Amino acid sequence: MPAPESVRWGRKRVLPVCPNPLFLKWLTELRDDAKEKGLKIQFTYQKAINSLNKYPLPLRSAKEAKILQNFGDGICKILDDRLQRHSRENGTVLPGHGRQRAELLGEQTTKQRSVPEIRSGGCFCLFLFIFVCFLQVPGHKGFMFKMELQAEAQSLCDGSCSAPDLGRKHSIWSSVRTLIQKNLVVKTHNPARFSLTEEGRVLAERLAAAAEEEEEEEEEEVVDLTGSADEEEEPQVLTADDDDEGPPVSQTASGMSGERLLPGSFDVVLCVDFIETTGGARHRKQELVRELQRNGVAFDVRKLNVGDFLWVAREKIPPVPGALRVPAGRELVLDFIVERKRMDDLCGSIIDGRFREQKFRLKRCGLQRLIYLVEGGGASASHLSLPEATLQQAVVNTQVVDGFFVKRVQDVRESAAYLTIMTRYLSKLYQNRTLTRRSRELEGDAGADATGSPSCSLISFEEFNHGAVKNKCQTVREVFARQLMQISSLSGDKAAAILERYSTPHSLLAAYDRCSSEAEKEKLLAGIRCGKLQRNLGPALSRTVYQLYCSDGALS
Amino acid sequence: MSVLRRAKEWEISESEGSDVEPEPSPNRRSETQSGAPLSESSSCTTASPARRRRTKEEIEADRQRTKERKEAREMQRAARAQEKEERRREQQRRREAAKELKKLRPENCIRSLNISIDPALLQQEDSDLLLDTLALLEWRFTIESQQISHSITWTRDLPQQGDEGQSSVEEDQVVLVLTLADFLDVVICVKEMLGSEGDETETGTGAVLSPLLECLNRDAKKVVTMLVTDFEADYSSRTEARSEGFPEQRLRSKLGMKNLDIEEVLVYLQLYKNISVVFLVSWQDVTDHVCAVTKALSKRPFKLLTEPSELPFCVDGSWAAGARVDRDGSGLGLVWSRQIQQLNRVSPAVASAVTESFPSPRALLQAYQKLESEAERKGMLTGLLVKTEGKERRIGAEISARVYRCFTAQNPQLVLD
Repeated sequence: MPAPESVRWGRKRVLPVCPNPLFLKWLTELRDDAKEKGLKIQFTYQKAINSLNKYPLPLRSAKEAKILQNFGDGICKILDDRLQRHSRENGTVLPGHGRQRAELLGEQTTKQRSVPEIRSGGCFCLFLFIFVCFLQVPGHKGFMFKMELQAEAQSLCDGSCSAPDLGRKHSIWSSVRTLIQKNLVVKTHNPARFSLTEEGRVLAERLAAAAEEEEEEEEEEVVDLTGSADEEEEPQVLTADDDDEGPPVSQTASGMSGERLLPGSFDVVLCVDFIETTGGARHRKQELVRELQRNGVAFDVRKLNVGDFLWVAREKIPPVPGALRVPAGRELVLDFIVERKRMDDLCGSIIDGRFREQKFRLKRCGLQRLIYLVEGGGASASHLSLPEATLQQAVVNTQVVDGFFVKRVQDVRESAAYLTIMTRYLSKLYQNRTLTRRSRELEGDAGADATGSPSCSLISFEEFNHGAVKNKCQTVREVFARQLMQISSLSGDKAAAILERYSTPHSLLAAYDRCSSEAEKEKLLAGIRCGKLQRNLGPALSRTVYQLYCSDGALS
Repeated sequence: MSVLRRAKEWEISESEGSDVEPEPSPNRRSETQSGAPLSESSSCTTASPARRRRTKEEIEADRQRTKERKEAREMQRAARAQEKEERRREQQRRREAAKELKKLRPENCIRSLNISIDPALLQQEDSDLLLDTLALLEWRFTIESQQISHSITWTRDLPQQGDEGQSSVEEDQVVLVLTLADFLDVVICVKEMLGSEGDETETGTGAVLSPLLECLNRDAKKVVTMLVTDFEADYSSRTEARSEGFPEQRLRSKLGMKNLDIEEVLVYLQLYKNISVVFLVSWQDVTDHVCAVTKALSKRPFKLLTEPSELPFCVDGSWAAGARVDRDGSGLGLVWSRQIQQLNRVSPAVASAVTESFPSPRALLQAYQKLESEAERKGMLTGLLVKTEGKERRIGAEISARVYRCFTAQNPQLVLD
């Protein structure tokens, strides 16, 4: 192990004396033993050793060690056996306790942090640490949202991590996944919430207790190191899309709600969904981009999870001397979103049912000014599967019933002209305004205001795009509702009514089990009130559901 | 009690008269409540006084008991009557709510709409077409002066509440029918406003624009659609325009302005006043549009009322169609298979692999119960083979875990993915 004196680049924290020397010793022995015999398990032991080296706190038992990566049942059992043997031989000495622990605490220099570097093993501690800090705040809601968690992790990471942004992000979310797997953290609800399980809470509290005993002076030192570290790090440009768990967070965006973009500090940029530029009749789609380019609009093609066009206010960031790529600035989404529909698209989407679903998703995306851009009409609509009158009615319905603004244009060039002019106008509209970042997770949606000045309390682009993902994470409740609706004539409001009483399949099945007769089971749901009119579900549907969930034999 | 008393009487009595006493059976007692004790006591007193001598206390007690029983029965009856009344009222309420809801159904709601047309529009030659069409459809309309000249607005009658008179609400949609000249006027005004960089809330100067903007300032909720038609055009050029399909082009070129200039005006109208503009060819188009708006307005109340917003997903879609199930339960197999497909990224092939091995939910759960550890249960479906074209694949651990959690989790908010 390296001696605890020098601080090198890449490692901001001095490695302390190992707080778990016994475990380390035994693992090293096991590894060397296996190495000698040429067994592959030597690598397993090595991985465990690596993880243990990063863990700064004393472990009180082999069972506790399980939280670390690469510590599975096998290794823990072996360590446990050894510990038992050792205790019997030397009296109960907990590894890491007593003298070693005192040494550890005493030796803590201001260069050390109580929170380890972000690498595989260390992340656990980080997260438990974060959770505990939050949970100890009185009146805390008991869980954290994705963005909150990421922000906290980022700010703690900033000081010590030299890994590139993306790597760091991966590391964070893969650690969360592992924490979930190890049953220390549980993910619920949509939008996602993270909270500790009972096990996790116990462990976290112990970590907190241990951390409290340590010095806090290291904070200042860390800031110093952070300052110099940033200059060395190569700034990276992040792509806006990401299919990984967490949304990418730019280097400067470690804060949360309340951040502001002052007038003059941002540009208004049109975002074009990349699907609008590829696929299908390629040449025609590329024409849109060409037109936009010709018009000199500031635009950016990216993957939008909802809508075809929107605008972001992007922070102006000057290039950093010595670096090629400009760091990505913060981006807030303006309150407008455009869905473009050519007449043939409209026809197709009505027929296959996407029409309503797309509008539904647009209404929920968090932006208030919804625009439906209808391209073509007249001749172009005359030889489609649906009659023109039907299509026109659909367009009018979108305006009157769904509350969209409908913009009619003739062709792609006009669409491009429209988007160009909209961009210019929006730039002007927002040019003297201060924009405040709002988090949908924390603060919910703003009220609708169709004709008043457009809102200046805006969501960040990452949060927006991430929240609009099509096949979002499903909750048990949501899936159950969809499953119930697979019975013909069991509609949405009936499913919602059943869910109110039995919100999971488990709950319903348990209720069936509690019934004393088959007849009772058959009638279990008949009296449930559904919908605005509070009508009974009825004996027939109740019976069908009973047949589905209580039949022993095969269903046909 | 009565038996005892009668026994006494029998013992004491010697006359035949006492036998004529009406049958004091328990049934009778319950029916003729107030009658019996009185008659008994009266018959007691009218017949031979000697044997019928019940103590005052006994009579009193008797009366008391009967009274109590009577009261109990009264209460029961009252309670039942009240329940019945409540149920009746509840049913009545629901029936009325259903009736109200029915009135909101598009086909009925349309009858509660009234289309108000500004008389200035009638000066146009072909405006008869609109009136004739509305009359044919039997929709209510009136000709009355509108706040904004040349406009068409809608009002909807609200359901009558008790004895109040019919009240109505003005709908937010406003349709303006403008000639090309009028529209040009608007364009010029807007350009002036833009040019002067003036206050956005200025009402402008034009004959058309000014009153319009004033009105909008007063009622910001209005959604205005300008229908711009070239009424001057003759028949032949109109049919030409229609066959070309793009009346806009001709109209714009007629305006003699650059496309971009017009576009700027249109965007201004959108962003600042929420006004949309549609270029049309003829009164037929105008009529079609007015009819479309009317139909949309008739759909709106019902839709807003019945849209279930509690579910976090859109209830329309091909997945929601549902499979038909007969009384005897046939069809449930398909339902079961579709249920499994409701999980993200589960294909029909994967679902059939599951349903083949576990032909019902119960079968699946019983199989889970047979396994000891959670890990085993999570992984129970992992190895099932899925028949896809060509290669055989396994379901895999991820889907297996999700299915397990889906059917056994107790926390409804638990995320599966």
